Amino acid sequence: MIERAPTLVLDRASVAYGDVPVLEELNGVVHEGEAVALIGPNGAGKSTFIKALLGLVPVVRGRIEVLGRSPAQARRDVAYVPQADTLDPDFPVSVEQVAMMGRYRRIGWLRRPSAADRAEVAEALERVGLAHRARDRFGTLSGGQRQRVLLARAIAAKPRMLLLDEPFNGVDAVSQHALLEAIASMKEQGASVVVSTHDLAIAHLACDEVCLLNRHQFGFGPTEDVLTPERLRATYGGHALELRGDRVIVTQT
Amino acid sequence: MIFFEPFQFPFMARALIELVILGVLAGTVGVLVLLRRLAFVSDTLTHTVFPGVVIGHLMGGDGGIFWGALAAGVATAALLTLLTHRRRVSEDAALAMLLTTLFAVGVVLVSRQTGFTSDLTAFLFGRVLTVTEAQLAQTAVVTVLVVALLAALRRPLLLRAFDPEGARAAGVPVGLLDLVLNVAVALVVVAAVKAVGTVLVIALLIVPAAAARTLSDRLVVIVPLACLVGAAAGWLGLVVSYQASVEYGVRLASGATVVLALVVMYGLAHAAGFARRRLGLSRARRTAMEVAA
Repeated sequence: MIERAPTLVLDRASVAYGDVPVLEELNGVVHEGEAVALIGPNGAGKSTFIKALLGLVPVVRGRIEVLGRSPAQARRDVAYVPQADTLDPDFPVSVEQVAMMGRYRRIGWLRRPSAADRAEVAEALERVGLAHRARDRFGTLSGGQRQRVLLARAIAAKPRMLLLDEPFNGVDAVSQHALLEAIASMKEQGASVVVSTHDLAIAHLACDEVCLLNRHQFGFGPTEDVLTPERLRATYGGHALELRGDRVIVTQT
Repeated sequence: MIFFEPFQFPFMARALIELVILGVLAGTVGVLVLLRRLAFVSDTLTHTVFPGVVIGHLMGGDGGIFWGALAAGVATAALLTLLTHRRRVSEDAALAMLLTTLFAVGVVLVSRQTGFTSDLTAFLFGRVLTVTEAQLAQTAVVTVLVVALLAALRRPLLLRAFDPEGARAAGVPVGLLDLVLNVAVALVVVAAVKAVGTVLVIALLIVPAAAARTLSDRLVVIVPLACLVGAAAGWLGLVVSYQASVEYGVRLASGATVVLALVVMYGLAHAAGFARRRLGLSRARRTAMEVAA
């Protein structure tokens, strides 16, 4: 087997807002073409974890290395997908314009988008199954479709690492399928994927590794090894309920 | 023609040119203000420029107004950017305090002058009919600079307005862009202070952009439309105030008449937008029925 290059290295890393530590003692390695699911209850620090990988929250102890660089220096090869419902649905932009935002860094300030930029945008929208909605206003799409447009924007940026913040929240089955397909194809092309989610089934389906978080790290490794009832119960602090030995229902997320 | 006749007088022609240029400037900046939901921040800036206007006038007469406003505008734009980036105090409360404090400073300074009420009226509501050629040139230069700057930065500005977290993640210098927009708003106030005064300029910023937004979902249409609405309201306001005073002996303040013309145009745009949506809806329904059949 060919040894794949590490794209994300966490080495006893702690991140903090000012004096308040949010996440402590993070350890783990992610390689090219791998996907890792961030799992933990609300307020566990999943969004902060993603912001730390973007260099937007400082690492106060230890080390976080993204694509062999510091997170802030790696930003141009990292694409971030926010939750669609945090964006204003009345904003006057078309689906195509949103996807084109992924190309802005390559286009520069004064140049117009080239034929190549337009082709990348068209292909990215094709990959999330929304090419036929390119000219529609972003806000007229359903929540799941908007989430797919934001993923298309990230795909159009041609990133080596993809960060998704709760992309499956409130998303219909069709959109969930389209998101999973697009994420899988990004992995095949060698991109690493970090995705925060409440959904353990999706973690099983889409991700090779899992990082259990609740202020501290409760496990990081292959999905089958980490998603155990004991560890989930530890992460969710008594809000997890065991059923028939091997299944866990998380009663509060 | 009553619509063109007033402008054979040079002072009316100058007023018209001033308002058309201001329409373009305020229309462009106004769309960004609307997208960022910064109406209150902009209103604060219009008031914080006021003491600068007064100090400029005290130091250099009419010619000093522009430079006083410029200094105050840029300084308070920077202050506001800082204030809105650290949320120690609630943003609204901080803005309201800043707005009234600096406004009061301006009023206190004016009240020490002999021509107190007349000066105050001019600073607050403007005197568009006394605009000079030098002031026209100043307005034009400010307009060219601001529109060129915003055009060059249109992509990061759009990304920042639409998705601030995404912009930060993409390495866009969000704080710097916010400073640019606040300074642009301050410059609109500076350019418009002579013509419409510090109080009415907020209408010039917000109303055309809001009117254009009801008519279109596309920014390439909204921005020129906002410029057009602002310029057209300037022209209409001048015509109405001129005809009212010449034909009927009713004196209407031109600046305020321009603002009322803006509001009328907003009402028309709103009605047109409503009709457009209803029409579009019924057309879509008909197409859907045809497809189904």
